[in-house]
Amino acid sequence: MEPILTRYIQESNSYTLDFFLKHEGYQGLRKALATQPNDIIEMVKASGLRGRGGAGFPTGMKFQFVDKKTPKPKYIACNADESEPGTFKDHVLMERNPHLLFEGCLIGCWAIGAKMAYIYIRGEFYHVQKVLESELAKAYAQGYAGRNVMGSGWDCDIVIHRGAGAYEAGEETALIESLEGKRAQPRIKPPFPAVQGLYDCPTAVNNVETLCNLPCIMINGAEWFAKLGPEKNGGPKLYCISGHVKKPGVYEASMNTTIKELIFDRAGGIREGHQLKAVIPGGSSVPILLPDQLDIPASFDSVQKAGSMLGSAGMIVMDETTCMVWAAMNLMHFYKHESCGKCTPCREGGDWLWKILARIERGEGQMRDLELLTSISNNIAGKTLCAFGDAEATPPLTTLKHFRGEYEAHIREGRCTVPADWRAKGVAEVAH
Amino acid sequence: METVTLTIDGRQVTVEKGKTVLQGAIEHGIKVPYYCYHPGLEIDGSCRVCLVKIEKMPKLQTSCSTLVAEGMVVSTEAPDVVEARASVLEFLLINHPLDCPVCDKGGECPLQDFAYSFGPNESRMEFPRRVFDGEGVKADVDFGPTLMLNRNRCILCTRCVRFMKEVDGDAQINIVDRGYGSEIATFQDEGVHSLISGNLMDVCPVGAITTKDYRFKSRPWDNPEAIDTICTFCERGCNTTAWLRAKPEWAKGALLVRTTPRLNPDVNGYWMCDIGRFDYHWIEGDDRLHRPLVKMEAGLQQPADWREATAKAADRITAAGTGSLRFLISAHASLEELFLIGRLGSALGTPEDGVAISWRAREKPQPADTKFKVPPIDAPNVNGARDMGFPVKASSDGRPDISAFRQQVEQGRVKALFVFDPGPPGSIGDVSWVSQARASGKLALLIVQGALITDLARAADIVLPGASSFEKDATYVNYQGRVQAASRALPAPGDAQEDWQIFVNLGLALGITLGYTDSAHVRADVAAAMSSNAAYAGLADLAFARPVTAQHWLQASNPSERWKWDVMFQDLPPVKFAGRPDPSSIPTVIPLTERD
Repeated sequence: MEPILTRYIQESNSYTLDFFLKHEGYQGLRKALATQPNDIIEMVKASGLRGRGGAGFPTGMKFQFVDKKTPKPKYIACNADESEPGTFKDHVLMERNPHLLFEGCLIGCWAIGAKMAYIYIRGEFYHVQKVLESELAKAYAQGYAGRNVMGSGWDCDIVIHRGAGAYEAGEETALIESLEGKRAQPRIKPPFPAVQGLYDCPTAVNNVETLCNLPCIMINGAEWFAKLGPEKNGGPKLYCISGHVKKPGVYEASMNTTIKELIFDRAGGIREGHQLKAVIPGGSSVPILLPDQLDIPASFDSVQKAGSMLGSAGMIVMDETTCMVWAAMNLMHFYKHESCGKCTPCREGGDWLWKILARIERGEGQMRDLELLTSISNNIAGKTLCAFGDAEATPPLTTLKHFRGEYEAHIREGRCTVPADWRAKGVAEVAH
Repeated sequence: METVTLTIDGRQVTVEKGKTVLQGAIEHGIKVPYYCYHPGLEIDGSCRVCLVKIEKMPKLQTSCSTLVAEGMVVSTEAPDVVEARASVLEFLLINHPLDCPVCDKGGECPLQDFAYSFGPNESRMEFPRRVFDGEGVKADVDFGPTLMLNRNRCILCTRCVRFMKEVDGDAQINIVDRGYGSEIATFQDEGVHSLISGNLMDVCPVGAITTKDYRFKSRPWDNPEAIDTICTFCERGCNTTAWLRAKPEWAKGALLVRTTPRLNPDVNGYWMCDIGRFDYHWIEGDDRLHRPLVKMEAGLQQPADWREATAKAADRITAAGTGSLRFLISAHASLEELFLIGRLGSALGTPEDGVAISWRAREKPQPADTKFKVPPIDAPNVNGARDMGFPVKASSDGRPDISAFRQQVEQGRVKALFVFDPGPPGSIGDVSWVSQARASGKLALLIVQGALITDLARAADIVLPGASSFEKDATYVNYQGRVQAASRALPAPGDAQEDWQIFVNLGLALGITLGYTDSAHVRADVAAAMSSNAAYAGLADLAFARPVTAQHWLQASNPSERWKWDVMFQDLPPVKFAGRPDPSSIPTVIPLTERD
């Protein structure tokens, strides 16, 4: 499949408005503004576009759930808080193709009847903010945003808001809280944002990549989009491949492509002299897939069928030098650090899990720690306010499921038995 | 009322529509623990301890945030609920210091109670507990003028955060840092500065926020007696509970150890202000009058007995001419006392302008959008005095307008003045002009009846020691026109008497038979006199609380949670204190064990 979203990102000036206009820029918006909003929502539904942020929720449905009859204003909140470990696709789009995002935001606003879109960027994306702001100013100056968008008489504003740097701000209700100036902590659902979101008004929260797909749906039609991938998994998809591969990076592909193809063909395969050990297919929050499970299409549905999730399509590839206890500990350090602290199991349990994992990794663990890890993880999963709890419980559970032997070896031997090359090089400890 | 019928643990329960499953469970006595939920605050859903199983829902749900629905089937006892609940309690306890033996909340602590009832038997935590001491942070800190904060004990339920935001109107408390390091804090550690800060101790489900006033003073099982009463320190009349400490005869210190708010949705909700909560120390303070005082010819006040003081007062009044006696009455006078003063006045022939009602009104700075406004008038019965026909004149700023009366006194036209001031110090308003008139000789006779030796009492010829509002059964009419009862929690100190009795005795000495033998009798006549006023219906039958021994020390548990124990019977740990210890069970001889 020819790249669609990332087609021009190698061009040095791909981010500029001039370049964008020369390459079908804002043509999707022009078409959208001549279409009834309801028809756009039907188109998006027919296209089978699913949210690219992680949950894979059908975007058309999300737009439809937004309360159209309310007298309140409605909003699009673009989730650009890309912070899932192993995920780095949204910032490529924003840095190299910012106008595509603006166009997507505007189409989304037109479809749900909003006049304001907020782009909530991750706190660490200072450079992205600079690109977005300068390009947005150009879009405003040339009438592609703001008053009288493209001469249609319709006003729509785009506001760029950079957060303060919290993983949890990527949870849709926490993102809304943060946009409102509060701590980025999730709200109780229901009410869902589509009913009561930003400033208690109906809000559609969409990922950057999701919104970037709207222009090509408008231009080429829903059927074309749906046919790009397997059933219910239409459209182009960005895959972030990282870890022990020869060519890590962002690859755009159809969801017909198998994980194996992505790793071995697109990313060049495992580095020389090593073998694949495990893949986390959708960002750090999803269960591990083993090498024999990878000959499946990298689509939402088939990865789920294989017992994991496509998530944010952040594929973390690990070869045989990776100690799974260390990997779980490392991920758990991330989760305990990023827990917002609002609800009890995640706040208290994350740190506890990390302490136990660190103890095992140091070689001071005991066999009963393994039962404890399982029990604590199960006590967190499904008991928390947002999905963070499930994500946090995943690393210990999935590594224990597939690599229990490594844990037992740590405990038995009192040291790591995996031939990790960084250990061999004498790196004593990864600083935390 | 629209209702919804659902099934909880196999029981059909009917609950008002719009309520949550947790509220429904509490109403029907079904045991569900909770921390972040507080009936006076908005739903947060963060503590996760109220998890229940609801049919057709894939995951366990927090009952505090799930609205009841017709036909819903809820289980609070399914094995996965029991396990999940215990696991959340385990999480809450792994970093809690468990310093219950030195914690003020120990014994009335929902964390203790629910951990006993629903928690795991033992902790699996093997790492050091989280402590906040270090790097410029202290765990146990000053939290403003009235409170202390212990961060180590905090379970981050955010009730205090929400109280300040939602009720106080000034969001002074928030959480800083995140995740495992989250802690309760105020801007630059300034602490909480609010007129209703004491409620934070009530809402705190652990011993993280304690009041400086009650800190280390007593333990719940040392406060066996609690009396439901009302606060009389302003015109709102918050419903409160007065807590008495069981005190050996020889022990120092006061009996009254704290007052806490009592739920009355129409008057004060769950809250009370810091003035009512903390400014009670004068009741057992050094300035209390214990005996009548009579000024000798040399100008010194000498203690006297009641017969002597009453006779002396009657003699002096008679000498001045009974019709010349004037009354300056604090609006802290109860309906009963006002009624008796009215009867005395009419028997003596006091003219209509011969009585003035006085009080203090103060600015009480609070955030503009506070949900709990403390009224400016520091007196419980301005409305009662007005209803009973006394001349109540208020200026636009809420202060009493008694200039005409004051002029009479300052111009020497009053020969004898009787001042009744039973309230907290200063609550009668400015009366320095009375002392000055007495000192300058413009006022020949000053009789003061009250609870404290004030500047005014020092200037008086005769001082009659009365009772504070904690020491008598009396009724007051609050700013809403609601008649409320303040109950007797303590006896009046020394020879001091309840005020109705002093008036009756003074009347007798003056040859006026009022004919009452107790305050209920007076109240019956007030009720008869006020029968045309619908607000006073039922006055004669008003119930007064008596000091009750807390049969079950948990039943009279955490004051803000007390209603909970009233409606919801918990699986309680063994009774640890029931009533006073039986003296006969205490061995008189301690058996000695022989040493090798």
